Amino acid sequence: MKKILLLALAMAPVLSFAQGFQVNLEGNKQIGMGHTGTGIAQDGASVFFNPGAVAALPQNYFQAGISPLMFKSVFNPAGTNEQFHTADKVAPPFTFYGAWGPKAAKWKVGLGVYTPFGGLTDWGTTWPGKYTAEMLNLKAIFFQPTLSYRLTDRLSIGAGFVYNHSSVDLTRGIPLDNSSGQSGQAEIKGSGKGYGWNAGIYFKASSKLTIGFTHRSEVKTTIKDGDAIFTVPASIQGNFPSPNQFTASIPLPATNGIGFGFYPTKQWTVALDANLVGWNSFKALSFDYKNNTTALQDTHSPRNYKNTVSLRAGAQYQAKPDLALRFGGGYVTAAAPDGYVTPEVPDASRVYGTLGLGYTFAKHLDVDVSFEYEHLNSRTQTNIETQLSGTFKSNVYIPGISLAYHW
Amino acid sequence: MKTFRKHIYLIAGLLLLGACKPEINPVSPSKGTADFSKYISVGNSLTAGYADGGLYLEGQENSYPSIIAKQMLAVGGGEFKQPLFSADQANGSGYLRLAGFNTDGTPKTETVTSNLAIRGQIAIPGFGNVTLYNKYTGGEFNNLGVPGIKLQQITYAPYGNLNGFYERMLGPAAPANTESYLDFVTTGRNFTFFSNWLGNNDALGYATSGGAGDVLTDKAVFEQLYNLLINSMTASGAKGVVATVPDVTAVPYFNTVTVSAVLAGVQKVNPAVQALYINAKTGSGLSDGYAPRAATTKDLIVLTFPTSKIGQVVDSPAGPVPYGLTQYAPIENQYVLDENEVTLTEDYIASYNNTIKTAAAAKGLAVFDSYTFLNNVKAHGLLVNGISMSSGYISGGIFSLDGVHLTPRGYAIVANEFIKAINATYKSSIPLADITNYRAVKFP
Repeated sequence: MKKILLLALAMAPVLSFAQGFQVNLEGNKQIGMGHTGTGIAQDGASVFFNPGAVAALPQNYFQAGISPLMFKSVFNPAGTNEQFHTADKVAPPFTFYGAWGPKAAKWKVGLGVYTPFGGLTDWGTTWPGKYTAEMLNLKAIFFQPTLSYRLTDRLSIGAGFVYNHSSVDLTRGIPLDNSSGQSGQAEIKGSGKGYGWNAGIYFKASSKLTIGFTHRSEVKTTIKDGDAIFTVPASIQGNFPSPNQFTASIPLPATNGIGFGFYPTKQWTVALDANLVGWNSFKALSFDYKNNTTALQDTHSPRNYKNTVSLRAGAQYQAKPDLALRFGGGYVTAAAPDGYVTPEVPDASRVYGTLGLGYTFAKHLDVDVSFEYEHLNSRTQTNIETQLSGTFKSNVYIPGISLAYHW
Repeated sequence: MKTFRKHIYLIAGLLLLGACKPEINPVSPSKGTADFSKYISVGNSLTAGYADGGLYLEGQENSYPSIIAKQMLAVGGGEFKQPLFSADQANGSGYLRLAGFNTDGTPKTETVTSNLAIRGQIAIPGFGNVTLYNKYTGGEFNNLGVPGIKLQQITYAPYGNLNGFYERMLGPAAPANTESYLDFVTTGRNFTFFSNWLGNNDALGYATSGGAGDVLTDKAVFEQLYNLLINSMTASGAKGVVATVPDVTAVPYFNTVTVSAVLAGVQKVNPAVQALYINAKTGSGLSDGYAPRAATTKDLIVLTFPTSKIGQVVDSPAGPVPYGLTQYAPIENQYVLDENEVTLTEDYIASYNNTIKTAAAAKGLAVFDSYTFLNNVKAHGLLVNGISMSSGYISGGIFSLDGVHLTPRGYAIVANEFIKAINATYKSSIPLADITNYRAVKFP
C-alpha cells in the first residue's frame, strides 16, 4: 500500500515554433538585397515574393538555389559562468521557381517550391536544458502553383495555391534514470500537411517607382499519427506506451507585405519591404497522444506569441551589363514574449546584413551568390513552463547560390 | 579559371565566418568577502552523502559539500577530500535499491549486500552492538559529516566507540576512542570556511521512531551546544554557512504511507471497517502518556510500516482481535508519529531553528533555511530546467529510497541553496551547479 503515483514523472515533449523558424531565404538576388522583393520584379522568385509581379517579368524564368544555413546559439545558465553551444549543423533551405508565359501575353504561370519555415538546432544530450530540448529538425516545403495576369501595362495581379509538406524530428531528455544513471529520451517524429494561398498586386507607378502588396495566408499544418518513441527504464516503460502516436497542429503564420522599388538611375535599384507576420495566431501548442497514461498526458502549452514586424532594405548596383552588386539589411522584432522563449530556437529581435553578387553568362544564365549574417540579440529569460533560466545569444551565417535561366 | 579561384577564396572566407560561434561573457566569479581556500563540512548523514538507507561511494561522491566544493573551485576553492569508500568496497554499509514495482504500482526494494566495507561488530557495554567499517586511511579530509550524529552528542568523548561511521574516521579502534566530535572538527584543521548542518537528528531520531525509540534533545541543551560549536568554528576567524533543521513532515518518510491510503486498502477487502486504531499520545506535552484511539489524517505513518500486519489476528486483553482495527490492538507507537507527537516535534524544531538563526546572525554567517525551502517544495513542488520535482516518494526525484535522505539530484539542489545563501551573505558569486548532471532515483 505504499502507493506511489508516477504522476507527472515527466512532462511529455513539447515543441514550439518561433520567429526563428521563419526562414527568409527565398531567392538569392533578393537575399543579396536584404531579402526585399515585394515591390520589385527581379526574377522567378516573384512567385514567392509577389505573385502579382510575375506577369510583369520581362522574361521567362527557370531557376534553383540553395542557402545552407548555420544557426549557432550559445546558452549561459543563470548564476553560472558556463557556456553551452549548439552543434555545427547545416540546414539546407532551397528554392525552385519557374515562371512562363508566351511572349507578349498578358499572363504567366508559375511554380514555386521553397522552404519558408524550418529549423535545425542541436544542443546535444549533455547541456543543462536537455530535459527541455535536445535536438530539433523541422522542415516545411511549400509547393505553390501560381497564375499572374497583367491587367494594364502598370498593374498586374497574381495568386497561388500553397500545399505544405512538413516534417519534424524532435528529441528531448526524460528525467528518469536507469540503473546505470542514464536518463531517458523522448523522440517525436512525423510529417504532415497544410494548405494556404499567396496573392499579390504589383503596380508600376512610374519609371522611378514600383509598389507591391502581398498576403501570404496562414498555413495550418497538422501532423497526424506521427511516431512518439519513449526510451525509459524497463520497469516504468508501461507508463510510456512506446511506440506511440501523436497528433499536433501548428499555425504557420500569415504574412502581410508592402514593398517599394526605386530606380534613381539606370544602374541603381533600391528596394524597401515591410512585413507584418501574424504570429499571434500561435496561442498554444497541443499534443494529442494516442495512448495516454497518468504519466503521459496530452499536453497544452501556452505560447502567446505576438505579431512581428520586419523592416528590410536593399540595393542593387548594375556595375556592368553582366555584373550586379547587391547589399542590404533589416530588423525583425521577436515573436516569443518574455517567459516563452525556448531553446529550439531562442527567439529574440534580430538584425541582419546581406551582400550579393550576380553574374550573367551569355545573356541567359544568371549566377547569383549571396551571404547573410544575422544576429539575434542576447536575451536573458526564465521560461515559465520549464524554468530553464539563462541567457541565449545566436548568430546565423547563410551563404547561398542560385542559377537562373531566362529567355 | 581565374574567376573560379576568386570564388574559392570567397567561399572559403564565408565558411570561415560560418565557424564563428557566438560568445557570452559572463562576469567572472568572485569570492566576495569570504576565503574558500580551505572548506570543511560539519554535519550528519546528509552531509556525509548518505542515501537509500546507507552510506556508499556514489552517495559520498554526490554529497552536497563535495558539490559546493566543486563549484567553489571557480572562486579560489581548494582541494576537497572526502573519506570515500574504496572502489572494491563501494557499497559501504549497504543500501536499498529499487527492484521493480508490484502490479498495484507499489515499489519493491532490495538491499545491496555485496562489496561492503564492514569489518566487524563490537558490543559496547550499556549501549549495544556497533557495526564497524574499514578505517579510512587516506589522510586528512574535508567532509566531516557523520551519519547518525546529533548535536547533543558532539561533546561526548567516547562517541567514537558508539558510531561506526565516526569510528571509521578516527585513528584508534573502538572501544579506545576518546575524541569528541567537537574536538575532531575544530582541532588543527586550519579551515577558512565551513558549513554546518547539525541538529536534524536531535528531532528526527524521535520522529522516525514514531516517538517511541528516541528522545528530543532538550531545547536549552541544543542552544548551549550550538553556540559552543559555532563559537569554536569561528574562533579563528573562519566564515561559514549553517542550515536549519527541516520540518520532519516535509519528507516522504512520513507522507507516503498515509492513514487514508491504508484504510482504503483495508476497506477494499472489508468495507465494514471504519477506522484504523493507533496508540497515540494524549497531549502534546513531553510527559503526556499514550492511549489507543482512531487514527486521523493528521497522524503520520512511517514509510517502513509493514502494512501486511493490518488485520492479522493478534492476542489482546480482549482476546484475539485484528491488528490495527480495534482499540484493543492498535498500530504500535513506533510506526506512527501521531498528531500530538507532530506538534511536539515541530515545537522543538522551531526552537532549534530559532537558536540556529540567532547564532548565525550573531556571527554574520550565511543561513540556508532548509525548513522553509523543503516546506515550499512540499507545498508547490520544484521545477528546474524542465525537471518537475516534488516531495513525493520515488516519483519526486529529490528524496532517495529511504524517504529521508536525498538523491544526488536532491543533494545538488541543496548545494545550490547553500551556494545562494553564501553568495548573498559574502557578496561572492560561486557558480551554481547544473542539477541535470545529477541523477534522481534509479529505475531498473
